[in-house]
Amino acid sequence: MTTLGRVALYLVFALTAYAAVAGVLAGRRGDRRLMRSSRNAFWTALAATLVAVVAVEYALVTHDFSLAVVAEHTSRRLPTGYTLSSLWASEAGSLLLWLAVLTGASALALHQNRRRNRELMPWVAAVLGGIATFFAGLAAFVSSPFAHVAGGVPADGAGLDPSLQNPYMVAHPPMLYLGYVTLSIPFAFAMAALVTGRTDARWLVSVRRWTLVSWAALGTGMLLGAHWAYVEIGWGGYWAWDPVENAALMPWLAATAFLHSVIVQEKKGMLKVWNMVLVSAAFSLAVFGDFLTRSGVVQSVHSFVQSPVGPYLLAFVAATLALSTALIIWRLPLLRADHRLESVISREATFLFNNLLLLALAFAVLWGVVFPILSEAVRGVRSTVSAPYYDFFLVMFGLPLLALTGIGPLIAWRRASPDSLVRTFRWPVVSAISGAAFLWLLGLGSSTAGLTALSLCIFVTVTVGLEFARGTAARRALGGGSIPRALVDLVGRNRRRYGGYVVHLAIVILVVGVTASSAYSTVREAHLGVGQSMQINGYTLRNAGVFQRQGPNYTYEFVRLAVTRGGSAHGTLEPGQRVYDTGQIGNEVDIRSSLPSGTDLYSTLQGVDRNGSGGVSVKVLVNPAVGLVWLAGAVFLLGALITLWPDPREARQLARRYGELLARSGA
Amino acid sequence: MTTAAAVAAAAALVMLAVVVVAWPFVSPEREQQEERLSEEDRRRLALAEARDAAYGSLRDLEHDLRTGKVTRADYEVERDRLRAEAARVLRELDRLR
Repeated sequence: MTTLGRVALYLVFALTAYAAVAGVLAGRRGDRRLMRSSRNAFWTALAATLVAVVAVEYALVTHDFSLAVVAEHTSRRLPTGYTLSSLWASEAGSLLLWLAVLTGASALALHQNRRRNRELMPWVAAVLGGIATFFAGLAAFVSSPFAHVAGGVPADGAGLDPSLQNPYMVAHPPMLYLGYVTLSIPFAFAMAALVTGRTDARWLVSVRRWTLVSWAALGTGMLLGAHWAYVEIGWGGYWAWDPVENAALMPWLAATAFLHSVIVQEKKGMLKVWNMVLVSAAFSLAVFGDFLTRSGVVQSVHSFVQSPVGPYLLAFVAATLALSTALIIWRLPLLRADHRLESVISREATFLFNNLLLLALAFAVLWGVVFPILSEAVRGVRSTVSAPYYDFFLVMFGLPLLALTGIGPLIAWRRASPDSLVRTFRWPVVSAISGAAFLWLLGLGSSTAGLTALSLCIFVTVTVGLEFARGTAARRALGGGSIPRALVDLVGRNRRRYGGYVVHLAIVILVVGVTASSAYSTVREAHLGVGQSMQINGYTLRNAGVFQRQGPNYTYEFVRLAVTRGGSAHGTLEPGQRVYDTGQIGNEVDIRSSLPSGTDLYSTLQGVDRNGSGGVSVKVLVNPAVGLVWLAGAVFLLGALITLWPDPREARQLARRYGELLARSGA
Repeated sequence: MTTAAAVAAAAALVMLAVVVVAWPFVSPEREQQEERLSEEDRRRLALAEARDAAYGSLRDLEHDLRTGKVTRADYEVERDRLRAEAARVLRELDRLR
């Protein structure tokens, strides 16, 4: 199987290189056969990549320790599920996963557009082929999953890192990769539009859904990663501004900006250059994020050890930026705006401010990530950019962004008059001010930023609520029917708008969860002998003894903490330590969540007295409203799905617009 | 899997790829050349987009009026402007037909 897998990878390299060349020739000559051949090359590249994936998985499940990816990341007693998912625990294996997603997404995008965008598609194939050739080259020649171990074949593997033996690690990396990799599709369309001069809005329509897929996958992937950090790492939080976390955040911010500014281009013919810049930036940041994860230049719980692919990835980012900048400059005359911004009090202006803030935040994060690297390169000293730096910019740019989330939907296009502003904003503003006063009276004024964030959350919630209420009323006035029927009809006819509002609600829920769980968390550490208790926020935790339990490939040593509150029992917590057969040690937290407040009682075992007394050191946190962070993820997905759901009316309109005019030419 | 079987499977994979990639050149297809857009087509396309954008803006304006985001006076001014824009685009489209 190893031989087959290796040949399959060489074949992927050859096929994607052919697809790129055939794409260029098809674009230059207008030859449909070459285009079909290029498209077929992507499908066969996908099939060959899957053969390579199966070959690696076969090696993993049959414990072929002659391969480095198997020997270094699995062991004989590793449960089968984790054995299969250890494909992406290694740098080389995760590169193969990246390639599988890339060839699959490319083949699908080309297939979807086989009868549309015919002038663009050869160049889309050329760009995607170029990208895939690069990654296939890395997987085949630089960091192969079929590389053998140095020295003799070991009898057993080193085992999977304990922190990766978690169900969230099965889903988190593939989801992030789906997000990173599918940003290639909008980038390829943008470059094809620039090469062909087809800078009309057609390419935007084709890539909007792919950008939504990337953006939803990155968002979901980040939340899965945050939950993994929360339940696995044991420090009590879920976001640490880790460089690799930031690597996913940066393209997500750029994609968020694009999803807003694309509306302005579609409706007003403005921000054409800006949209090209955003698409290029999102893709470049995604590859840069891959560089951060793989190169070993940053220290992170998420990153791989140093690998040889780093310089190649950095060169690829530089080439991408150079190519996209050159093409944008070349096509500037075609990217002139159809209209000018007439007033700063208009919806297009709020979209513009929203974009500037999102990009400013993305670049503040980027600077925080690259500064330690630059500092080490220039001065030879590694500096650290820690949470206060990021928190400062999050407040600086995040709070105005939150305000714009509420302001944007209520402002009319082109220009809003003072009368309409007073009428639309009175209730949201009055609600936010009243809410702020109420929260201040509750004693939440200790954090100005926290109080401002929560007040803005009220403002946004009221604006979104009003949008749904007024829209439903308008729908009923037009078509009659019940309120639920009118609401469904309203959302169904305006999926992008109302799906977007649901995402805005998810952001509000996230902000409330993050604010409450970070600003109002309580921490206690204590040493407890058997029978001794500690108190925290009204909870009493008693050491009921230290026990051991046998797992599939580990022994779990844990303390049983009996929890009571107000005299009534609230179950037990069992934080502990897993000692794996391979000798690796992993800490395990135990969490008790209470609904509906979403407050978590979070416990970790810091140490066990080795004198046999049963004494333990524990750390316990009460994290209020942290459940809202995970609820935000579910609402975010719901909003993304509403936005993504195909709209037959839009499809008909596009068919009419492009079909009637271009039928003659077949373009 | 034996080495011989692996080599045979690899050879079959390569053969399959060659056949699939070469298939468009051997299969009968009537239209083999892509027609390109003329400058007039591009102009027509830009006008169709402008027409749809104006219609979309009119729909949004109606929605904004019904949901109270614009006053009646603002609505009437903007509606007249958008209608004039749509009419101008339609005239130009007719001229190109």
